[in-house]
Parts: sequence; structure tokens; C-alpha cells
Amino acid sequence: MLGFADPQIILAYILCILSAGLCVAYGIKNWNKDC
Amino acid sequence: MDYNVLILCILLYLGITILLSVLAFRHTKTKKDYLLAGGETHPSLMALSYGSTFVSTSAIVGFGGSAAMFGMSLLWLTFCTIFVGVFIAFVVYGKRTLLVGKKLGASTFPEFIALRYQSEFIKKFSALVIIAGMPVYAAAVMIGSGRFLEQLLHIDYNLAIIIFGIITAAYVITGGIKGVLYNDAFQASIMFLGMILLFFVTYSKLGGITSAHQALTNMTSLVPESMAAKGHLGWTSMPKLGSEYWWVVVSSLVMGVGIGVLAQPQLVVRFMTLKGPREINRAVVVGGIFILVMTGVAFTVGALSNVYFQQSLGKISIAAVTDVATGKPNIDSIIPLYVRSALPSWFGYLFMMTLLSAAMSTLSGQFHVIGTSLCNDLYKNATLSSNRFSILVALAASIYLALKLPGSIIAVATAIFFGVCAATFLPAYTAALFWPRATKSGVIASMIAGLTSSILLMAFVHAKESTALGLSNLLFGKTTLVGTPWVYIDPIMISLPLSAVALITVSLLSEKVDSIYLLEKSTVNK
Repeated sequence: MLGFADPQIILAYILCILSAGLCVAYGIKNWNKDC
Repeated sequence: MDYNVLILCILLYLGITILLSVLAFRHTKTKKDYLLAGGETHPSLMALSYGSTFVSTSAIVGFGGSAAMFGMSLLWLTFCTIFVGVFIAFVVYGKRTLLVGKKLGASTFPEFIALRYQSEFIKKFSALVIIAGMPVYAAAVMIGSGRFLEQLLHIDYNLAIIIFGIITAAYVITGGIKGVLYNDAFQASIMFLGMILLFFVTYSKLGGITSAHQALTNMTSLVPESMAAKGHLGWTSMPKLGSEYWWVVVSSLVMGVGIGVLAQPQLVVRFMTLKGPREINRAVVVGGIFILVMTGVAFTVGALSNVYFQQSLGKISIAAVTDVATGKPNIDSIIPLYVRSALPSWFGYLFMMTLLSAAMSTLSGQFHVIGTSLCNDLYKNATLSSNRFSILVALAASIYLALKLPGSIIAVATAIFFGVCAATFLPAYTAALFWPRATKSGVIASMIAGLTSSILLMAFVHAKESTALGLSNLLFGKTTLVGTPWVYIDPIMISLPLSAVALITVSLLSEKVDSIYLLEKSTVNK
């Protein structure tokens, strides 16, 4: 998958994108919340 | 590279820096402005400043070079820097830091911990750790920048360090944290543009995402025997579990930096520049994307440089930067060599500005924290003028160390500072935010245990630092006192748990504190 040999690297690659996505989603969802 | 175009780019860069410094100077009227930017910083500005201070030149060039050696396993560090360094740091730690910090009226990191536990000793002890350790880390950034400017502009190395230090200190002295924030945002924008272009150009050159990764996977048979013996299984695989390389990647690179980021005083203070939790919610968007692009691109491109050098020179990245005379590779040269050889010449100018920005943004944050620790935390009744003067002291100490320390100390000095900060401050800082039962005695025990164990492990156990420091060799005639795997396990893996255990044990054994500074929900959620 994605040209990687090791599932641990695939997982890291996907987690990098997902964690950045989490930051964006959290920020947008709580954009106007003051808590 | 056209020298005149390069000079023009640098002059333009310095011109904008001066403009932003003047702007910051005009907006800095009080001590609170100087220390916390009045406590009303725009969330994007704070997030860019946090990111650019965290990511220094050594993160791009040094860790990018490490990725060329260890491969894509460094993506776990990217994940940690985003999830722990941004999401956990902002959402979990940042919000509480901001609320508790405002409640306590703290302006600096040592003051924050000290006010929480009502201890002047904790304040002075924390300040001394920062004052003693941060100039070494600042000197490491200056050494890297000095070498880089020496090569770029063909000027004397010592002169390069002095000029670079003075320019950075000038806007910290005049504008305080506002000077730092404004310039960080400008520098972060350049860094972001540079790294985004590096990402697209690299993947496009190597035939797209999957093709590039596949080409790297196909090079597994080219791993040198010396590296395979240490656990290297290819550039798209994790090192062999429990091997030397596995410990280096997991304990030093991923855990050391990925966890250590939570207790960096120059980063923690950024949260206290915001107005409220809403601003942190907004800042996390910019912070997450920025760190993904910075570390993700640096580590991916670093690993993929092997494909480029194999296709163009018939050798892997490490072989491309190995000195013929000594036979030793200089992995810090991999990213610059890749940019110079693989990318269009116009990109070279942008990349030079990217590295200059990364170095300057980190150094300015370091100067500010050393100065404020010296002036506000060691002495009482600090004024705006005395704060400005203390930055001069920080500049002088950092320049002195940068001129005295050897070049090979860059990575070691960075690792030492991250490790010492994590072991000394992280349990105390975490408890200050989340554990009301923690006591002053517990925190003092934790800080002393963390600092002492870190120093001892670095001096006598962990080979990377003990070899560079030379104390073990001087006293016992050998570079380290233990065998494998302890020589590879980063000190943070031992000193951080020790520090946490000391805090919990001593706190539970000492008398419970009944004070308004306890972190009841009603205290911090207002």
C-alpha cells in the first residue's frame, strides 16, 4: 500500500495525515467556543 | 547560484524584519506587552510562532538528514509532533496553561510553576535550569546558522555568528515577544512556502507518491552491511525491534523530541499570549497543518533523497555525502546537497531563506526566554528596560558559547536540552495543571530527580552524549559505563519516569496543601 514495505510505516503515514485532520476538524468544530 | 540575486533576497528579508521590528516596538509600551504581547495575540500568529520556534534549521536539515539514513520510520516523529506537539499541547495543556496562568498572573514559565506551588525556590531553580541550558541550545542553533551563512555568503564563520545573533537579538530587545511573534509569522510563511514547493517538486520528480515510495522500497538490497547489522531493514521499514537503530529512532528521535516538546519553556509561554480558550481552538488548525508540512516534508524528502541519488549518482544519500579522505558521512549535508543538485536554481534562493527563517525564529524565542528568566525570575521588580538589557546578556552568553563549542555539538546540545527540560519540568508542569494533590515538596523532589538523573545518564550511560561530553572517559577511561542496549536508550526514557515517580511519592507522603491555588474546576474554568 502506497509503495511502503512495512505496515508500521503505512500506519505512521496515515496517522500523520489523520492527526493533522483532527487538528483542523477540532479547530473548526470549536471555532467560536470559549472553552 | 547568482550571488547578486542572493544578496538582494537577503536584503529584502532584512528590510521586512526591520519593518516588523519597528511595528512591534511601537506596540510595546508595558512589561506585559514585552512578556506576553498584552495577552491578546491573534491565534494564527501564535500558532505560526509556536510552529516556527519548534522547527529549527536542525529539524529540517539535521532530522531530514537522519530520515535519509533511517528512512520513513521518522514519520512516527511527524505523527508525535502533530498529535502530541500540537493537539495535546494546545487542547489539553495549552487551555489549562492559559486559564491557570491568567488566574495566577504568571508571565513566564518558572513564574507559572512557582506561583502554582507558592515556592520561590522552584522559580529560581527553574530559571537557573533555563539560564544554564538554553544558551547551549541557542549556541547550537547559532553554530548551524553560522556554518550555513559562511558557506552561503563566503564570510568569516565568527563574523557570521555575531551578525546573525545581533540581528535576531535586536528585534527581541526592541519589540519583546511582539517582535518575536511578528517576525516568527513572517518567517513561518517563508518556511511553509519553501517546504510545500519542496514536497511537490520532489514527488513530481520521482514519478508521484506511490512510485516514489515503491522505488525506495526496491532499494532495500542496497542497505550497507554496516547499517543492516545495526537493525536497518530498508528505508520504508521500521528498524529491527530492539536493535541499536530501533532504540535510536524510537527512544531518542520519536519519544525524546515528540514528548520533550510539551515541556519547552519557550513554547509553553506562547499559550499565555492568547486571550482565551477560543483562540487556542482556532490556533490548533494552523498549528496542525504547519507542523505536518514542516516535519512531514522534511522527513519524507530526506528518505526519498536516496532514490534521487541512486538514480543520478548510483549511490545512496549517505554515500553521496561521505568524505573521501576520512570515510565519514556528514548527514547534515544531505538535504542541502539534494536541494542544490535535484531542484531548480531559483528554488535554492527560497530554500536558503527557509533555513534562515527557521534558525532565526527558533533563536528569537530562545533569547526571549533566557532574558525573561534572568530578569523576571531571578530578580524581583524587573522593568521594561531591565528586560531589554537581559536579552543582551542572553546574546553575549550564546555568542560566547557558539564561538567556543565544536560544530559536532549541534545535535547533542539539542538532545541534551530537550531531555533535561522534559525530565525536570514535564511532571511538575503536568501536575500543576491536572493534579491538585501535588505538593511543593513533591515538585522540588521531581525537578531535582529529573535534572540529576538526566545529567548522570548523559554523562556516563547514553553513548551519544557521554562520548561528546568526555567526562566518563576522563574519570573512568571509557566512554560509557554500561553495555547494550542501555547505551542506545535515550535518557528521557529513564529520567522522565523517575521524575514522575518522585513527584507522586513525595507528594503523597507530604502534607496536603490547602490553598486557593488548587486546581478545582471552579478555579480554572472561568
